[in-house]
Amino acid sequence: MTEKSIVEYISKLTRINVSPHQIDSLNRQLSKIIGYIEKLNELDVENVEPMRTATLQRDVFRPDQPKLSMLKDDILNNAPQREGDYFKVPKIIE
Amino acid sequence: MFEFDVVIGLEVHVQLKTRSKIFCCCPTEFNSPVNTNICPVCCGYPGVLPVFNEKALDLGTRVGLALNCKINNRIYFERKNYFYPDLPKGYQISQYKRPLGEEGNLLLNSGKKIGITRVHLEEDAGKSIHKQDYSLVDLNRTGTPLLEIVSEPDISNPQEAFDYLTQLKLILQYIDASDCDMEKGFLRCDANISLKRKGETKLGTRVELKNMNSFKGVRDGLMHEVKRQKKVLEQGQKIAQETRLWDENKCITVVMRTKEEACDYRYFPEPDLLDFCISKERIEKEKKNVCELPLVKKERFLKDYKLPEKEIDIIISNRVLADFFESSCNEYDDIKKMTGFFLGPFLEQINLLGTIEAIKISPGNFAKIVRYFAQGKINNLSAKKVLSSAIATDKDIDELIASRGLVQVSGEDELFAFIKEAIDGNPKAVSEYKGGKQQAIMFLVGCVMKKTKGKANPKVVKEMLQKALCQ
Amino acid sequence: MKALSLTGLEIAQSIKKGEIAEDEVFSAFNQNIKDKNKKLNSFVDVYDQPLKSCATSSLKGVPIAVKDNICIKGKKITCASKILSNHIAVYDATVITKLKEAGLNIAGTANMDEFAFGSSTETSCYGVVRNPWNKDKVAGGSSGGSAASVGCRQVPLALGSDTGGSIRQPASLCGVVGFKPTYGRVSRYGLIAFGSSLDQIGPFSTNIIDCAHLLNVICGYDSKDSTSAKVETDDFTKALATIKKGTKVGIAKEYFAKGLNSEVKNAVEGVISVLKKKGACIVEISLPHTEYAVATYYIIASSEASANLQRFDGVRYGLREKRPNLIDMYSDTRKEGFGAEAKRRIFLGAHSLSSGYYDAYFLRALKVRRLIKEDFDKVFNEVDIILTPTSPTAAFNIGEKSEDPISMYLSDVYTISANLAGLPAVSLPCGFTKDNLPIGVQFIAKAFDESSLVSASFTYQQETNFHKRIPNV
Repeated sequence: MTEKSIVEYISKLTRINVSPHQIDSLNRQLSKIIGYIEKLNELDVENVEPMRTATLQRDVFRPDQPKLSMLKDDILNNAPQREGDYFKVPKIIE
Repeated sequence: MFEFDVVIGLEVHVQLKTRSKIFCCCPTEFNSPVNTNICPVCCGYPGVLPVFNEKALDLGTRVGLALNCKINNRIYFERKNYFYPDLPKGYQISQYKRPLGEEGNLLLNSGKKIGITRVHLEEDAGKSIHKQDYSLVDLNRTGTPLLEIVSEPDISNPQEAFDYLTQLKLILQYIDASDCDMEKGFLRCDANISLKRKGETKLGTRVELKNMNSFKGVRDGLMHEVKRQKKVLEQGQKIAQETRLWDENKCITVVMRTKEEACDYRYFPEPDLLDFCISKERIEKEKKNVCELPLVKKERFLKDYKLPEKEIDIIISNRVLADFFESSCNEYDDIKKMTGFFLGPFLEQINLLGTIEAIKISPGNFAKIVRYFAQGKINNLSAKKVLSSAIATDKDIDELIASRGLVQVSGEDELFAFIKEAIDGNPKAVSEYKGGKQQAIMFLVGCVMKKTKGKANPKVVKEMLQKALCQ
Repeated sequence: MKALSLTGLEIAQSIKKGEIAEDEVFSAFNQNIKDKNKKLNSFVDVYDQPLKSCATSSLKGVPIAVKDNICIKGKKITCASKILSNHIAVYDATVITKLKEAGLNIAGTANMDEFAFGSSTETSCYGVVRNPWNKDKVAGGSSGGSAASVGCRQVPLALGSDTGGSIRQPASLCGVVGFKPTYGRVSRYGLIAFGSSLDQIGPFSTNIIDCAHLLNVICGYDSKDSTSAKVETDDFTKALATIKKGTKVGIAKEYFAKGLNSEVKNAVEGVISVLKKKGACIVEISLPHTEYAVATYYIIASSEASANLQRFDGVRYGLREKRPNLIDMYSDTRKEGFGAEAKRRIFLGAHSLSSGYYDAYFLRALKVRRLIKEDFDKVFNEVDIILTPTSPTAAFNIGEKSEDPISMYLSDVYTISANLAGLPAVSLPCGFTKDNLPIGVQFIAKAFDESSLVSASFTYQQETNFHKRIPNV
């Protein structure tokens, strides 16, 4: 993939429009950063276990007890647009 | 013309039967008013964190075991990133690299085994309602625990897909893991389907089929897709790798997205949830909760009760029903009478009640009714009356029979007065009978039954009448 | 008012003794905040009324600033981002509940880099925070507002969050104490996530005594955060004592290599001598994977952030750009709502996770993260704490690094490893440059050994007065 199309691809994937004149500068910055992080290629990590989190804890559960939050109104009041108790969004075109 | 083999794999999502959501405390109730069962966590508010509902792990493990899966001893969740208005966080917490269960199988009624690739836990999205120019979002369902069950491409025709779903649903209901009501969206199904020339080993290009709203819809959609793909291949064209939607009204499938538009979900381990170990204790506990599965029960019933397969299929179609039948037979072993009364009046009553849950009568009391009927203590009509009073209450059967005076009158002494009254009061019928019209006696039997309020033993009445009229 | 020159603990004690009234303290600080804010821009929102509470603790009645990424029910919380402009939190973060239960009075919300992306608080949608020691310099970041507000004594205490140094680096640049607890010590529930496997909330104060008291308030297990540690909560004030003779202090050569400013180096070496004098045993150690920490961090933190920021989509809260169809609404809302640095991080993160790049970037970074953590595991078999500079330089000029992301990222080179390994670390004022800019020293300890950091800090502050200097704002 060319680098310009990486920016365009990621822009679509992350749903962030980029103005045409910003594509180049964003691309330049990203290639610089990517160039820097490729430093990690110096290391042999073949047999290293990936570290997903900084804690050894596991098996953290919640009991199956339902409880109403009673925050419906607060939550709906924050909505940019609503219709009745629904969140309203523009037409979905895939 | 070529002959083709059909290759189908199914991806089923079932809602697990928990009371609260998978990562927050909101209730999972169906049909609550719009956006009521919501909180900052399931609405994807800034700063919130998920905490895993242990019951979802129990139920998921139970399903995995019931489908003969290898349960991974350590699992973790991952984030599946995509944008949709009913997905509040912009990612779904799901499992990717390390699913809960792998390499299982499901036995069909036909005896064929369908491989289960994997079962994994994830959270459900909300519901979008599409209007002309906009959409509305209800997040009540968001965060309901789902189990995704992916089959191997072992299914070889649309009817088999239907059978697979029927059997899967039965199992999930038997082990009390899901209600599987497809109309309520508790069970959803997508299919992968491809065709290959008979004898060919290489699989054909696969099409993903979505938007089937019933088991019948799955079968019909697949049948249509088989026809469509056959036609394309016979014309020497290639099948495009794409996702298609089944349109139930028009009975066609239409393209939803092509391969080029396929999503890049950017899966990565969910840092807000840590690893979960599936302990031996949990597996043992859930093994106990995997009861006798439907097909095993069927074999046993066939052997024990020696009933026709059709009748057994009805009895085992529901676990509560099957268990009730079995317990009742343990109380009274005239299987033929029992089956007749069970499949007849008993199922009729259930249909009237609308739900099996409403049944309160104990198998012991049910067996007593059948026994009294078989022994002639009560007649058929009375037996039905007793059942309808006792089914939703489990009242004492003997008391019911006594208080309603339903004990069958078979004694000739008790019946003599009624017989005389019927003969004396209906000279026309008497002379017709005597004139050779045999059916006329049934009219007289009816009169006696009426006078005794249905308690008389009709057989005895008929014999007594015949005897009296011969003299 | 006298209270303005007291430490947090002294204020609480004076209130308790009845020497000053809690309400008067609050309004004096309120006025103080407003006066100095015109010059520093350290606050986003200043509260005129305390959030009433009848609870009590050793810090009862002390005003505190809270970084603008920690949710306070009913208040505007924005992460200094346009995309959350005017967003009202609907619940309290667990730390806010704890502050209320301890009777601290929240004085307002502190400015920060947008979504905590930055080391200079220049990416805030409210504009840059100025360093109280020199208004042309940055206050550091991302918790620049919290650090500056304590630095200039607008408030005696503040909360910040630290993902790669966002508490310690600005603490160092503003001349205050900044403490990042062990990952899992403080509940993250209600902290608007940046890098979920790295984020920790922690205190700012002028001295380690206040810091220990505030740690007691905010630490502890929380069932709402699955990563919250189920460990006994220590009484950190018990660690306010001189270090034991023979305490082993590790000096990693990698932290004193190229790129370290000589004035900073000298000041930090001064700390070594002080601790030596108090009986510490200095051990030379090596953390060989240090040079890979920044790259590892930027991949992991940005990847997590790219997913964490997916929720800002204009559907349920925050900014929405009105467009006739959904995809345009999403894409323009996020275009307008996120600043340049946020976009760079989202792009980098999404790229690192995308199909075809995951193994080479994200997975590789997780593996290097393990190597970095194992470096620490080995070293902590030999030493009790590690001593390093907090930042390679003192405060830099506003605008100096804003066009060069990598040089900005490198200002966190000494702080990032503690986040990757999940370790507790603290930055303390340990000197001044010839231009009168504060310099910070960092102590790192093994997981859940905050007490050793408190002791080392206490020992050092007993011997020195750098933490008592107050800038003239």
